[in-house]
Amino acid sequence: MKWKKADLQQYVQAKEYIDTIILPLAPFQFSNDTDLEKMSFQHEVLTLLCSEIEKELTGRLLLTPIYNYVKTAEKEMEVQRVNGWVNNLQAQPFSHIFFISFDSSWKKVESQLNGTLLWIPGIQSGDLQSAEMHGVIKDQVEQLTEFMRSYW
Amino acid sequence: MSEEKQQVSRRQFLNYTLTGVGGFMAAGMLAPMLRMAVDPVLKEEKHGGLINVGLAVEDITNEPQRVDWKIDQVDGWYESQVSRSAWVFKDDNGDIQAFSPICKHLGCVVSWEGSDQYPNQFYCPCHDGRYYKDGTNVPGTPPLAPLDVYEQEVKDGMLFLGEPQLREEA
Repeated sequence: MKWKKADLQQYVQAKEYIDTIILPLAPFQFSNDTDLEKMSFQHEVLTLLCSEIEKELTGRLLLTPIYNYVKTAEKEMEVQRVNGWVNNLQAQPFSHIFFISFDSSWKKVESQLNGTLLWIPGIQSGDLQSAEMHGVIKDQVEQLTEFMRSYW
Repeated sequence: MSEEKQQVSRRQFLNYTLTGVGGFMAAGMLAPMLRMAVDPVLKEEKHGGLINVGLAVEDITNEPQRVDWKIDQVDGWYESQVSRSAWVFKDDNGDIQAFSPICKHLGCVVSWEGSDQYPNQFYCPCHDGRYYKDGTNVPGTPPLAPLDVYEQEVKDGMLFLGEPQLREEA
């Protein structure tokens, strides 16, 4: 389910079935020209990837809005804020929290996060509309959903 | 220049060229108008909203296979391509069946024999919902209705699918 009115209406009625959260973490920054393209692209891919995962497993997971942060910001602080989100989420009966990100710096602070980090390396450039990219994303979605299901 | 060689006079040449170019331009302007006037006649590639899903009828077996295709969908704000999928197979009578993979419980994507424990059934990974091969829900599992069935048509040996239709409670 997505962060949308219709989905949330359904959520409220079927709470006991939806126990998983996907929280995408996406960095942005404007200080460095060369990174602009790369980051916006990764943001696009992440959005797409998460919505595809959501499509496969709609009935059991909720995709939250993307957590955006400045790339250069202190990670310790970001961890606290993310955990703040998680605490708030847990007001509802969610038992599995997954973070999805292309940013490897989360990997280092993984243990401090209240949830499971799925760090996905690899996609930095390319054409989102191309058939190869569709194939890559489809494969990743398949493996990620498989992985999440192993937690259930 | 000799008189013999001048078969086309300057005046004639200009006449020909101008008529040619003028005619060409006029045709260029008129063609889209004509095209619009007869538009409904030419719009035949998607007949009755059914779309060729790129699967030949002879490739359909008794084993359900997943087909994916895209449709153009217009909603309030923008037109977008939406992907659709179906599980397609031939039933015992040899009739083609095309089921929507959307679980009737909470909308996950079901897959044929998605769980090793339940062969010969459609399986939903989210809450262990199950459906028999004919699409009816297995009693005692979360889904309360059978899988939707696509409108279908066979034309020139290809399978065309339309909108998923609700089925009567089985």
